[in-house]
Amino acid sequence: MTDNEATARLTITPGSRIMLWLGNTGPARSIRWLDGALKTVAKFDPDKKGRAIAFAAGSTGWLDLAADRARHAGVASAGVHTDLSLDYLGWAQIVAAASRQLGAGTILVDEASRPERWVEVAAIAELLDAAQLTHVVKLAPDKDVIHASRIAGRDLQTVRVRGNAVIGVRIAGAPMDEYPTPMPSTTMQRMKLENLGLDPVVLGHRAQPPRTHEPKKTVERIAEHLVVHLAPRGAR
Amino acid sequence: MAAVLVHVDLVGDRPDASSLVALAAGRHVASSWGATLYAAVVVHDPHHANVTSTHDDIAATTMPSVPGLADAESMLARAGADKVVIAVSRGPVAPLWSAVGNAWRGVVDHLRPRLVLFGADAPSAAELGPRTAARIGARLLLRARASGIDDVELRDRDGGYARVGDGGAAVAMVGRAPAIDAVPDDCDVDVVVLALPGTRDERIELVTTSPAEIAHATGTVLVLGDDVANDTRIAAGAKRLAGLMNAHLVGGPAAVRSGAIANGAVVDKATPLAPELVVTIGGAQVDVAGATSVIKIGASPATRIAGVDGVVPGAADVGLGDLVKRLEAS
Repeated sequence: MTDNEATARLTITPGSRIMLWLGNTGPARSIRWLDGALKTVAKFDPDKKGRAIAFAAGSTGWLDLAADRARHAGVASAGVHTDLSLDYLGWAQIVAAASRQLGAGTILVDEASRPERWVEVAAIAELLDAAQLTHVVKLAPDKDVIHASRIAGRDLQTVRVRGNAVIGVRIAGAPMDEYPTPMPSTTMQRMKLENLGLDPVVLGHRAQPPRTHEPKKTVERIAEHLVVHLAPRGAR
Repeated sequence: MAAVLVHVDLVGDRPDASSLVALAAGRHVASSWGATLYAAVVVHDPHHANVTSTHDDIAATTMPSVPGLADAESMLARAGADKVVIAVSRGPVAPLWSAVGNAWRGVVDHLRPRLVLFGADAPSAAELGPRTAARIGARLLLRARASGIDDVELRDRDGGYARVGDGGAAVAMVGRAPAIDAVPDDCDVDVVVLALPGTRDERIELVTTSPAEIAHATGTVLVLGDDVANDTRIAAGAKRLAGLMNAHLVGGPAAVRSGAIANGAVVDKATPLAPELVVTIGGAQVDVAGATSVIKIGASPATRIAGVDGVVPGAADVGLGDLVKRLEAS
C-alpha cells in the first residue's frame, strides 16, 4: 500500500492530524534538519496510521526530495507543485489551506533548513488562530499534551502545549554528507492550489523575488554584514 | 499623524538594550516621516484592577505598581519616545506570544501604527515580531538598520525596506541604528496607561526556565579552529569579537587546552548548530547547516564557500584584527 493509499483510507477527523511544513525550497546546506523534523513528526504516529503527514510546496525536484526523505522516516507526504515565489504570508496561506484539506490541527514547521522559515510559524498561527511556539529544540507528545523545550535568548523554556498549535522546530537528524538522488516520487499525495481553494493569481499579490547573495570577500563588506549583529554598546 | 510603535521589553526593571536600539531607529524614522513615536511596555501588576476585570475593551486606567517603572519611563523619554504606553496585562509577562499576545494585540489595534519596531535581540522579538506583522498584513524586515539623513528609511540585508512614501504597514526587527541626539534629563513625555483585555493563551503553559546549552544557541556563535587555537593573538581577537557581538565562543579540544575557550564550550564537527550567525576562525570543523548566516575568517583558499555569506581573505590573525578594528570603530 502506498502512502497515497494510506492517506486516502484514513478517516480524517478535522484537526486530528499533525502536519509538518517542510517549506517551499530544499534545505540550504544539508538535509540533516529536514530529517530531524521528519523524525520528530513521526513520533506523533508510532503505529504509522497516517496521523502524521509532511507537506511541501515548490518545484518538482524539491517535492521528490521531500517525499523521499518522508518515506525514509515512515511519514506520509503531500505536496503542491508551484513556481510561485512568495513572502512569508503567501506561503502561510498555502500551509493554512493545506492543513484544512488534510485535517491537520497541530502544525510543525522545520525552522532550521532555511533561514527565512521561522517567521512563517507566526503567520500560519495567525491565519489559523492557533497558539504558536517558535525555536523548539525538543518535543515529546504525551497523549493530549505536547512537552516542548524552546530557546529564548540564552534561556531554555520548558512548555506544555494543549490543543492546536503551530510549532517551529529546530531539531537535527543524524549528520549526512551524501545521499542518493531521489527518484520521482509516487508516494506523495499531489495537490493543486485550486483544490485548496487558492487562486494563484491572487496569491501572486504576495510575490517576492528570490533573494540571491554573492559571498562578500573584503573586510569592509563583511563588517557591514556583521554590524547589525553587534551587541548594543550598553550591553557589551 | 502616523504612529511609529516600538515594543520595549523590560529586563528586570530596565528597558532591554536591543529594544533601545529599536527606539533609536524609531526616533530617526519618526522625525523624518513626521510621525509620533510610541514606546510600549507590557507589564503586569497582580493587584491592579485590570486583573479581575471582565471588560473586553481597551480603556485608560490607573498606573500599575511595578518596581522601577517610573525609571523605565524616564529612560524611554530620554531615548526619544514622544509617548510611553504602559499596557497593563491581566496575566504575568513572559517572552511568549501566548503570555503577552492578547495585551500586545490590543496595543497594536488601539494605535494602528504604520511601522512597528522590535529590537532584533530583544527577548520577545522572535515570538511577537512576525505575529504582529502577520496580524496587520505587513512587510517584515529582519535585522534592519536605519539609514539616511533627511529621508530616513529602514532596510534589511535581503533588499526589504520601509520608506516614508510606502503604502501599507511594515514591521522591522532592528539590528542597528545611529545614536540619537541627547535628550535632556528633565524632558517631558506623555504617559498613556491602558488596561488590556484578554488573558494568556491557556494552550501554552510555561513550566520552567533554565540556562540553554551552547549547542542550542540562536544568536551568534564564534568557532575557533583547532589549527589557530594556540595563537594568542587570534585567541585574544576572538574574545574581543565575541564581546562585541555578545556571542558564544566555542571550539574543539585544542581550544580548551590552550585556555582560549571555556570547558563547556566544546563543539565537534557533528554538533548541530542552528544560530542566526556563525563566524568561523581558521580551519574550524563544525556543522553550520542550520545557521542563517555564515562568515569565515582565515579559511584556506580551497574552502568551499557555497552557502557562505562572506570569507575574510588571507591569514586569520590579520583578517580578524582588521575586522575587530572596523567593528569597534562603527
